[in-house]
Amino acid sequence: MPSSTSSSEPARGGHWLLSGVVTLLVAAGLTLAVERYWRGKDYRPGLLDSPQLWSIQRDRVYDDERIPLVLLGASRIEFSVDMPLLAQLLPRYKPVMLAINAHNPLATLRDLAYDEKFKGVILCDVDARGMTRRYWEMQAAHNTYYRTQWNLSWRVHRLLLNVWQRHAVVANPDFGAAATAKRWLSNGPAPFKGYHVFRRDRSGDIHFDQTDVKALTAHFEQDLNNSLFTKALETPEEWLAPLAEVNDWVRRIQQRGGKVIFYETPTAGTLRKMAQMSYPRSLYWDRFAATTPAATLHYADVPALEAAPLPDQSHSDYRDKPQYTRDLVDALVQRGLLER
Amino acid sequence: MQFDSFTFLLFFAIVLLVYNAVGAWSWRKNVLLVASYAFYAAWNPPFLLLLAGSTTLDWWIARRIDAQEDPRRRRTWLVLTLLLNFGVLGYFKYSGFLLDNLAQLLAVVGITYKPPPLGIILPIGISFYTFHSVSYCIDVYRRKFAPTGNWRDYALYVAFFPQLVAGPIVRWTQMRDQIETARRSTVEGLGLGLSLLVIGLFQKVALADAVFAPVADALFKTPTEAGTADAWIGLLAFSGQIFCDFAGYSTCAIGAALALGFSLPINFRSPYAAIGFSDFWRRWHISLSSWLRDYLYVSLGGNRGGRWRTYRNLMLTMLIGGLWHGAAWTFVIWGGLHGLFLALERALRETWFARYDDGALARFAYGMVTLLGAVYAWLWFRAGSLQTGWELHHRLFSPFGAIADALTTRPAQHLALLVFVAVVAVQWLMRERDLQRVVATLPAVVRGVVLGLMLWIILLSPGDNHAFIYFQF
Repeated sequence: MPSSTSSSEPARGGHWLLSGVVTLLVAAGLTLAVERYWRGKDYRPGLLDSPQLWSIQRDRVYDDERIPLVLLGASRIEFSVDMPLLAQLLPRYKPVMLAINAHNPLATLRDLAYDEKFKGVILCDVDARGMTRRYWEMQAAHNTYYRTQWNLSWRVHRLLLNVWQRHAVVANPDFGAAATAKRWLSNGPAPFKGYHVFRRDRSGDIHFDQTDVKALTAHFEQDLNNSLFTKALETPEEWLAPLAEVNDWVRRIQQRGGKVIFYETPTAGTLRKMAQMSYPRSLYWDRFAATTPAATLHYADVPALEAAPLPDQSHSDYRDKPQYTRDLVDALVQRGLLER
Repeated sequence: MQFDSFTFLLFFAIVLLVYNAVGAWSWRKNVLLVASYAFYAAWNPPFLLLLAGSTTLDWWIARRIDAQEDPRRRRTWLVLTLLLNFGVLGYFKYSGFLLDNLAQLLAVVGITYKPPPLGIILPIGISFYTFHSVSYCIDVYRRKFAPTGNWRDYALYVAFFPQLVAGPIVRWTQMRDQIETARRSTVEGLGLGLSLLVIGLFQKVALADAVFAPVADALFKTPTEAGTADAWIGLLAFSGQIFCDFAGYSTCAIGAALALGFSLPINFRSPYAAIGFSDFWRRWHISLSSWLRDYLYVSLGGNRGGRWRTYRNLMLTMLIGGLWHGAAWTFVIWGGLHGLFLALERALRETWFARYDDGALARFAYGMVTLLGAVYAWLWFRAGSLQTGWELHHRLFSPFGAIADALTTRPAQHLALLVFVAVVAVQWLMRERDLQRVVATLPAVVRGVVLGLMLWIILLSPGDNHAFIYFQF
């Protein structure tokens, strides 16, 4: 019988076993080599956020035992609230993190408002700028994904992907074959070294000791300056009019026994000044607060929150999260918005 | 459930174990049917009722067709099943399209009509399992075979999970023996099947999703920002993406079936190395093109009614084939273009080139013409609207933009272009070869190294959510 290594005869059983072993050895060996290479350059594995990870949390907004406490917003609440501590401080509630980095939250608020099964409490981190009509749809893609594609199969996939991402640097697409080839073709720099850690509950820790805080702050300032002062802003009337629709969403949730709290999170330094200049509180936030059926909380009304340390003028360092969480819970409880 | 998910790997490992652990063939078939229904239900459980319901109805109607001796009654049952199958398909797939067109038509005569948002979710794979059922009933009507009396066997034929949601479209004649005769996993079947799974996943995950999709997506998302070079590279990227996506799925399907001891028909045979458009359709989505040929083109009269009827039938077949892919005029244009290419090719072969004996160079040149034609037609397949398609058409053929923006193309485009050229080159090398045979006859160590490299690149191409393009058809 001719050997498959020297003829065109189909391979026999033993040859398949040999090729299978070689396949696994080659794939495992090369993957380990690449993993070792990047770890040698001080890269670490970590979870990556995605519509699937978000959807796992989205599934958790229904509960009859504890009141779901859904945190909406963007990075400021996502990286500043200590979720296990929040659950501990508010045992009657089940905290759920649905904030999405760099995405204002009103599309998710709308989706929850039209979800008849949702009866929980929403803590919605949003400032006057984030309420502007043109930013409403920023989270819409996540909600569409949840409505049209999310299923049991993807849930299992994402849970297994979590394990892979938590243990392998190469699970990050930045280190993938295509990304590496593109870097090689363009002689590009090594992948960005993240200074934050993302958790399965979708909260995150920012390690400001691992980055250039000054450069980061300057970047934020420049970014905000570009978006605030390079185009005409809405007048308070133009800004307030569409928010009547937001108030309708709030009423829908309230009619089911739920609650919405709009919360403007603290900023500091130049960012705070720019926000105050462009959207003066008395003309925007306070006018909305006076018309909305929802509860509102502004950081400037809570001295502890106003004084919260924010290294980049916008986010808490991971070491400050517990104190920030306690101050936030105290403020909400003292105002009767939540119960311990 | 998708082949490129961890869920499928887990699912498939469990199915393989249980399937081979069970003794009796009848029970192993039960395992496969339950697994197939679980595979389908993992996406949207309520639609499992639709699948099971239409399966049962078609199985029953096929038996009624066979039982009737009166030709009129046989035809009535056939028409009934065609109406039912295409009615359901039409409701889910074409309601919105028809209403939108009705609104536009009414607007022409000054009547304002705004169709209500239907919010219909298309059941995944409905086009594929409808074609399975329809071919079965037509073949019973044509007395090609007697229908099976075993519902479970028929249900397994329709729902067999490797091919359930995106083909290949398998005929009952290709599956009957395999379902009725006991089989199980063998070392050879597992070896070849798992090898094909790796190759299919490599095509899908490493090429379609990681290399081609970002470039194609960028072009079709913002067509007005594209220069000529951007447009061409983006279109080539989409051509690479749709091949690697769909051929990747088919390769995975054939591999998964082989691992279970089943043989599914090949669905792609190096289509970008086709020499001529009829050759292209003998190589691209073979199970669909042969279905359209046998059940549509032949039913329309095929080439039996003279030259012009042949052209008409070709064009109609391709237009309907285009519409099968999606409820939009862009798909009709795509089908129409291919109909035109086929008719033109036939006309030239029958007249001017009737006695032309082509050499290797001429064949290669015609291969390149075929490739360009197919690539151009993909523009209309992917364009989300007629406006986008027209916009990109202009950008493709705008001579002044070509050189300027070629200098600004990004690394992702360079990579996509290089890989597309490599894909076409490999297809020319594989033009007369069968992938399964090549894999099976490679020296074991070489095969192991090649598959190991592919598996490594798959591991280094982590994705999150990449739906197969053909799932939406």
